[in-house]
Amino acid sequence: MNNKELNNGNVKKKKHIKGPKIRLWHRTFVVLSVIMILFLAVIARIGYLQIVQGESLQKSAINQQVRELEISAKRGSIYDTNGEVLAQSATVWNIILAPIYIKDDIEREYIVENLAKILDLDKDDLMENSKKKSYYVTIKRGVNKDVKDEVLTFVNGIKDAIKDSYPKNSKGDSTYSNTNIGSLIVTEEAYERYYPYQDFASVVLGFTGSDDQGLYGLEYQYDDVLSGVNGKILTTTDTHGVQTPFSYEQKVEAIDGYSLVLSIDETLQHICEKYLEQGIIDNKVANRAVAIMMDVNTGAVLAMAVKGDYDPNNPYKIMDEELAAKIEEIKNDDERAEARYAAQSAQWRNKAISDVYIPGSVYKVVTTSACLEEGLVTKDTTFTCSGSYVPFPGSASIGCHNRNGHGTQNLKQALSNSCNPAYMQMGNLLGVDNFFKYYKAFGFSSKTGIDLPGEAKDIFFTTLGYYGGMSLSDLAVGSFGQNFSITPIQMITAMSAIANGGKILQPYVVRQILDSDGNVVKTTETVVKRQAVSENTTSQLAEMMQYNATYGTAKNGYVAGYRVAGKTGTSEAKRDANGDGIKDYIASYCGFAPADDPKIALLVYFDTPLSANYYGSAVAAPAFAGIISEALPYLGVEAKYTEEELALLDTVANNYIGMSVAQAKNKISEDGFAVIVKGEGANVIDQVPANGEKIPKGGTIVLYTDEVSTDDTVVVPNLTNMTLSNVNRVAALYNLNISISGMPSSSSGELLSYSQSIEEGTSVKEGTVILISFKENDEVM
Amino acid sequence: MRNSAINTKIQLSSAAPDLTRQPNNQKVRTPTPNNKKNSVKNKRKNLKDRLKIFRVGFGIDTPLLIFTLALVIIGLIMMFSASYVFAYAQQGDSYYYLERQSIFAIVGVIVMIAVSYFDYKKLAQTRIFNRFGIPISIVLLAILLLVIVLIVGKDSEGVSRWIRLGPLSFQPSEIAKFALILFLADYTSKKAKKMDNFKTGVLVPLILVVAFCALLVLEPHYSCTIIIIMLAAIMLFLGGVKIRYFIFMAGLLGVAIIVVNFTVGFNYFAERLGGWGNTLEFESYQQWQDTWQTRNSLYAIGSGGIWGLGLGQSRQKYLYLPEPQNDFVFSIVCEELGFVGSTIIILLFAILVWRGITVSMRAEDLFGRILGTGIMAQIGLQVILNLFVITDSLPNTGISLPFFSYGGTSILMLLFQMGIVLSISRNSFSEKV
Repeated sequence: MNNKELNNGNVKKKKHIKGPKIRLWHRTFVVLSVIMILFLAVIARIGYLQIVQGESLQKSAINQQVRELEISAKRGSIYDTNGEVLAQSATVWNIILAPIYIKDDIEREYIVENLAKILDLDKDDLMENSKKKSYYVTIKRGVNKDVKDEVLTFVNGIKDAIKDSYPKNSKGDSTYSNTNIGSLIVTEEAYERYYPYQDFASVVLGFTGSDDQGLYGLEYQYDDVLSGVNGKILTTTDTHGVQTPFSYEQKVEAIDGYSLVLSIDETLQHICEKYLEQGIIDNKVANRAVAIMMDVNTGAVLAMAVKGDYDPNNPYKIMDEELAAKIEEIKNDDERAEARYAAQSAQWRNKAISDVYIPGSVYKVVTTSACLEEGLVTKDTTFTCSGSYVPFPGSASIGCHNRNGHGTQNLKQALSNSCNPAYMQMGNLLGVDNFFKYYKAFGFSSKTGIDLPGEAKDIFFTTLGYYGGMSLSDLAVGSFGQNFSITPIQMITAMSAIANGGKILQPYVVRQILDSDGNVVKTTETVVKRQAVSENTTSQLAEMMQYNATYGTAKNGYVAGYRVAGKTGTSEAKRDANGDGIKDYIASYCGFAPADDPKIALLVYFDTPLSANYYGSAVAAPAFAGIISEALPYLGVEAKYTEEELALLDTVANNYIGMSVAQAKNKISEDGFAVIVKGEGANVIDQVPANGEKIPKGGTIVLYTDEVSTDDTVVVPNLTNMTLSNVNRVAALYNLNISISGMPSSSSGELLSYSQSIEEGTSVKEGTVILISFKENDEVM
Repeated sequence: MRNSAINTKIQLSSAAPDLTRQPNNQKVRTPTPNNKKNSVKNKRKNLKDRLKIFRVGFGIDTPLLIFTLALVIIGLIMMFSASYVFAYAQQGDSYYYLERQSIFAIVGVIVMIAVSYFDYKKLAQTRIFNRFGIPISIVLLAILLLVIVLIVGKDSEGVSRWIRLGPLSFQPSEIAKFALILFLADYTSKKAKKMDNFKTGVLVPLILVVAFCALLVLEPHYSCTIIIIMLAAIMLFLGGVKIRYFIFMAGLLGVAIIVVNFTVGFNYFAERLGGWGNTLEFESYQQWQDTWQTRNSLYAIGSGGIWGLGLGQSRQKYLYLPEPQNDFVFSIVCEELGFVGSTIIILLFAILVWRGITVSMRAEDLFGRILGTGIMAQIGLQVILNLFVITDSLPNTGISLPFFSYGGTSILMLLFQMGIVLSISRNSFSEKV
């Protein structure tokens, strides 16, 4: 064409037209050619961009358009054995800032100031974050819906709020504009772990970190199971992150985490924690307390309580306020941080499995079992105690807690007296090899393998240079449970074996794993590891231990009707944790119930009670008894009372309201109660105790006959630290009823009241029943 | 009848160009030279001739009309496709730009057809108040409007480009471009023989160009300034100004740029370039922000590949490419229609320019030839500059794409000017019929 055009001009030039026209032809040709060449250049340029650079440009474009939106998998819940929620994940929001979109310092200043306020953040930190050249800075995690909505409202209002800080144009409109304002702050859905019961079973549950990862306890142990698999969406979005309608969206669904159903029962756990807390206060316990309840037939842990714990909702808070205050007073930053970390680590520690303790006299049940199993003793074998004993020639004499000696005792009496000389004799009968054999047989030499993290190993004798290498003096003290350390979980597992006929079971806390639809994925089976001793042996022990808990040194653990078998333990911790210059003691009580058909085993131990009486019988046994007295009825174990027990048992008040005073008096004496009538009226309008309420046999019922009299109250006196007769005398003076249910039916020593169900100083109506707890105050190992 | 005539024309145009000039003026120019009696009659007839401003001639050049309409329709479709997301985001109505542009396009096409019936020669011949020719009148009108816009047209960003008349607004610069073409076509054709003379060829036109440019720089509207300068150069080149004077004027332009740079501030132009040529990498927020539009244009073009993502399938229009209805509409065209589709459209533009210029060159007078060529060169120039901008081959200065970019004044003026070219086409090939 160009040539033709050129010819065109040439032809014309030859033919006619002169000057300007021919010049125009030439020049038009030049212009047209240049334009066409430029068109070709444009096409070439576009071709270069689309074909040569197309792939890399498209990649950049897709990088910009496609966002990988993560779909968080919901972390599984943790339920107690009855489906009660112990840990759950709730939807929260993370607040994400895209500082690259901040236009200038006016905007930055305004955003930082207000966001810091809304999100409760440090302004300087936020300012620093706001200067990053990034699209994604997480400035706050886990805010709730209200805060999230407040943030979004704030973002929408930024423009109106700061536009006046900018100069105006000729029409009076602000010159402020930021088209990216919508992408400046983004909220992202996430989950937050929530523990509805706060500081409850916390050392078992553990807690999660900021990325929803398990850090301690079950949350850590079962992290893989609980956390599930995050999904993701690959999608194209516009600049505001809104999805665009294109088909190449890829979605990988999140798989929500599995849930755990524990063997732990929330009610039993609460019972245990309640008594531990009370015991810690009553006995000024310095170094936490542990209670483990185990189903003796399955190895399932029904409760694992450690008090001196924390709130998994806020695990970093130091729960011991005194300690927290002391830490805050530390001037040096590093030292303070260190102290804080030490305190946090201490409260997170699962004392039930991670700390070892010296079992003390509780271990005597193992020594007894070993001797019976080996046929070295029978229940009729006698042991003589003169108050001290020389275990082997050349040894120093080792004293009994009873300096006067227990005299001649059979096996049952030796256990019930917790007589150390008797046990040193048994140790000698056993010998080192057998002692270690049964130590191993009962599972103390290895970790139990419970499904919780951080289980500690025992510390056994290595006197001869190897594990289990005991000297004769080691044997002597070891036979009554001194100078070696085991974990509480090992002790309760061994005690369960004695209760269940000698089977060492695998302890566990997770009973089932459920998928997100509630289908059972896995059920924990009972695993019998080995037969430690024969059933014959254990049945004899059960009988001896029940005797011990009823008449012996362990009788503070007695609960009427529930046939408790138990053993106390008091051991020297050989340390001085609280730094008071007095050696620390550990008071423990371990047993099971009912003795004739064991259901549960329970270990209660208080580390370093600073009360005057630090013995297991005084410190741990009442808590043990309290727990058993609530746990067994809850578990549906029927109470079986002996004649003696029945005599002491409470009954219930009948209804007398509406009767005439005379009628009521007759009826009350028929029912076997005493009566006090208050007021001038003819008919009974109220009574204390009310219809159906507990009242001790032969108690007093107070009848009210008019409105005025119903206002009469009496102030509850102090009823603790008294003998039974004194308690009864004082209560009678105040017209109060006293319930002593649960008291041992017979006692050799002096019983003293140690707690009352209604506090001193409370105003109550006359006739109110007050529950008084008694314990024997003997100092028994 | 008409169809056959057109066919003949097409054949002639490609086959035997030398024939086109042959039997001159039979119908057009020959007022019958009668005797003296008829002198009064002649006078009347002359008057009648003068008043006869409509002229069908030999019919318009149908290919030119078809190419124009094709580009208008494709332009509308692609502008809609590119803009509906942005329109929804900005105006809450996906059809916002389509509706407005369609109205202007329809009005524009009517204007174009109507104008094609006018005799373009009247533009040069008619005098207002028997004094001013139409070209100089339009130049004066353009200058007046350019002054007015400086006074009343300031917008939110301190730029004054628009004059608002109620709901409508228009850009005087569009009129200025046409005024320049019309004036220089008239001027150079009338003074054709003196155009190599410095005073006639350079000095007088330069006064007009400088006046326009000064007013446009004040707006400021640099892209239009550049187009005015380039158009003026093309018109003067066509008009026959000597090459060495162009060198002189280029030197003058260089001096002007340096003066502006120093008076407005150092690095002023460098700043205007706004990171041009370094679009895909960026170091500062400012630069990242400045090159956003161009970068996303490149992403869009590159994403298209050979075959494109398909009509309506652009992703970059999802608010990544700001104002995709304006200058960067063709980036979305490239993304959706790919290299094949975009090349076809560019070739359509090229053919339109080619056809327009060749048809104009067959006009019977110098004025028509230069006017038509000038108009078509302007369209070609804008297309090329726009495409260079969206491909990051030139800095982002704000040049719209004819028939594609959103803008009422623009499409109206374009179609009006196409109408003139069509009018010229009625007079082409007259010799051969």
